[in-house]
Amino acid sequence: MYSVLIVIRWGIFLSSRENSEEHKEKKSGLLEKAADFYDKKYKLLMIIPLIITLLAIGVISYNVIYHGEPIKRDVTLKGGVTITISGYSNISSESIQSFLTSKFPGKDIGVLTISDAGIIKARVVESSDFNEQNAHELILALSEKLPELNKDKYTVETIGASLGNSFFKETGIALLVAFLFMAVVVFLYFRVTVPCLAVIFSAFSDIVCTAAVTVLLGISVGTAGIAAFLMLVGYSVDTDILLTNRVLKKKKGTVLDATFSAMRTGITMSVAALAAVVASFFLTHSLVLKQIMLILMIGLLFDILNTWLTNAGILRLYYEKLAQKSHHKKEEDD
Amino acid sequence: MSKLKRIFGKWQLILLIIILLASIVAISPNPWAKGAVIKSVLKNSTAETAGIKSPGAQTQPMQLEIIKEISNQPINSLDDYYASVTSLRPNSSVTVKTNKGLYKVAVQTDISGSPDLGLRVISAPKSNLREGLDLQGGTRVLLQPERKLSDEEMDILISNMKERLNVFGLSDVVIRSAGDLSGNQYVLIEIAGVNEEEVKELISKQGKFEAKISNSTVFSGGSDIRQVCRTAECSGIDTRTGCSQISDGSWMCRFSFAITLSPEAAQRQADLTANLSVISKNGQEYLEKPLDLYLDDQAVDSLQIGKELKGKAVTDIAISGSGVGATEQEAQYDTLQNMKRLQTILVTGSLPVKMNIVKTDNISPVLGSEFIKSTIIMLIVAILAVALVLIIHYRKIGLAIPVLVTMVSEVIILLGIASLIRWNIDIVAIAGIIVAVGTGVDDQIIITDEALMKESQGTTYNWKQRIQNAFFIIMACYFSLMVAMAPLYFAGAGLLRGFALTTMIGVSIGVFITRPVYAAIVEIIVREDD
Repeated sequence: MYSVLIVIRWGIFLSSRENSEEHKEKKSGLLEKAADFYDKKYKLLMIIPLIITLLAIGVISYNVIYHGEPIKRDVTLKGGVTITISGYSNISSESIQSFLTSKFPGKDIGVLTISDAGIIKARVVESSDFNEQNAHELILALSEKLPELNKDKYTVETIGASLGNSFFKETGIALLVAFLFMAVVVFLYFRVTVPCLAVIFSAFSDIVCTAAVTVLLGISVGTAGIAAFLMLVGYSVDTDILLTNRVLKKKKGTVLDATFSAMRTGITMSVAALAAVVASFFLTHSLVLKQIMLILMIGLLFDILNTWLTNAGILRLYYEKLAQKSHHKKEEDD
Repeated sequence: MSKLKRIFGKWQLILLIIILLASIVAISPNPWAKGAVIKSVLKNSTAETAGIKSPGAQTQPMQLEIIKEISNQPINSLDDYYASVTSLRPNSSVTVKTNKGLYKVAVQTDISGSPDLGLRVISAPKSNLREGLDLQGGTRVLLQPERKLSDEEMDILISNMKERLNVFGLSDVVIRSAGDLSGNQYVLIEIAGVNEEEVKELISKQGKFEAKISNSTVFSGGSDIRQVCRTAECSGIDTRTGCSQISDGSWMCRFSFAITLSPEAAQRQADLTANLSVISKNGQEYLEKPLDLYLDDQAVDSLQIGKELKGKAVTDIAISGSGVGATEQEAQYDTLQNMKRLQTILVTGSLPVKMNIVKTDNISPVLGSEFIKSTIIMLIVAILAVALVLIIHYRKIGLAIPVLVTMVSEVIILLGIASLIRWNIDIVAIAGIIVAVGTGVDDQIIITDEALMKESQGTTYNWKQRIQNAFFIIMACYFSLMVAMAPLYFAGAGLLRGFALTTMIGVSIGVFITRPVYAAIVEIIVREDD
């Protein structure tokens, strides 16, 4: 509740600041400079997300070569045991983890914490080195460390290794199929090659960069995470379709003007989505939802870069090439 | 003021209000509901005999039978119910008054010997929204048959498993076949409110029961067994041997229950025992070979055959077995559970194929209810955060309010549809709601900005074309998201199906219902300012 009040007060402060005349003038000065830079240096700006995407592909390829998989998988995609325990806020997760690793040497056991405003709400103990048959050993060990642990206080989920692996394959295929379908829809709607390719590349880049960040941050991705990537396909395409539509359908004015008008709408969309996602990330107690929100957050941020720097740049180049072609044609006809 | 009048006059808004009201009726929320309601009636229980009907799976939560009184004592909560039942005396009878009738129910005992009416009772639900397993707690098991089954075999398998669980006493069970993109077959079982340990053995064991003398089968589970006694007169803790402590301090008890063999099986027994000689053991005379009981090819017990059975086609036989525990009470409970399982398997027969457990979820109800609380807070704050962004962007509360209203409407309509199609809401379904609403907000922003664009910004469209353009963008985004979600419906044994479905229904509600309404409202608000 406290955090809600702070957010509301800050928002009111922001809007009133925005409305003061002096501030408006200062802002338009800064904005003009930024707009100018964006206009003059658009080719350079376009390359930045491209480089980031290449780096991301590099990170993922490295992961495939050295670890055999593009992203770090969690128990739901590898097989293993997940135990979610509520309460016990006075016992630290580190002590639980060290207790378990000393009890089961050689087994990889992780303990994640879910807290709300500093108070530990729940703990998730996961390990791929346990399965359905010996999960109870893990629970027995936990009941030594956590007093009065009974069946009501925890949730146990087990997945067989072959099922986990087949989930990974399946959801990977689902992601690919979704991406292909989306590409077809975009082509059917706009019917021009280069702009459609730009949209598809932007979506591809969002996914690849987000995946690379999860690898770099050491975040394990589960079935929920893959669902989040699928959501990202949908969300990232929204802003690109908006941009492409405004630029392609404009009746007068420059590509730049159309881009700026699309940007106003598009960035608001991304910020609104980010606001919801960030709020949900911090307030939820469910690890599943946290994973989904984190991936969406990272993806939406990359989307802002990819849409307004690369995609916009490609569209501008496309228009200039088109304009040049028709100019040459005109000269020929004359 | 006239603007507001014009807004409320638009038929799109009236349609939305009608749909909203219908959704609220479908959800039937009642936050003040209290008391105890009947979730299911155990088969062959005294409650069933008294005429209390078990609600079908299609019965809406708010339509469940409410218990008002037990023997003239008012029941106002689940605790009242439990307190009342524990104070009953077995073999007496009580009157149970519900909102549907008055019943005279004999008091029976449950597996641990406590008084029981054969009813599964839960706290009165506060709405028609069904909680998925993640929220109400329970057990989910995903099984894979050892070999590929034809459609018919799968149907037989599922109905056999259902019967097994029903006979065991569980009726709030969801069993369905599931598949994935690679053609693997699975059986998904979800049982609300039950701990995994109780049912794991029951649903994963093929249940091939055989009684053999040496290596010849005398009888096996299924058609050889005509009747299995499950009442207190001929089944329970073996009165002759009872419970005793064994060397390491733990307790062991034996159970025994009577079965009736078919005449053919009885004759088989006569033939196989005719040539056995009689031996003496502990002062009793038995046949030289025992009757060995096997469950799924594992020996579970060995019974001495009394000499009077030699060569006789006896149809009444007692089956026995044992259970263990750290205390006498635990041992008794374990023993009775083992007995119940064996009885169930003998009654329903074995499954057509061996099943492997590939996934188990044993979900605590406590975690679920905590999650609901935190989710409601999360949704409210997310909506407020979005509203804030919109107020800053448009600098006009007048525009932010319709967006808020449409967001909330979408959630209500989505929940209304979920209640109607009896969909279980779980964690991933909630993620789907967030996606749908998030997409909705983005679309609303597109509409608003398109409407607000002035001629100087390079569009010379009239109003209609502007809105059409906005909808063009929205439909393109809509189809992209729909096709992105479609593969998820079929992949991964259907475990993410709830997410795919909620997202798809949610965005469809947005595009076809709330967006047109919003466009109509925006037209009034913005057009006047032009």
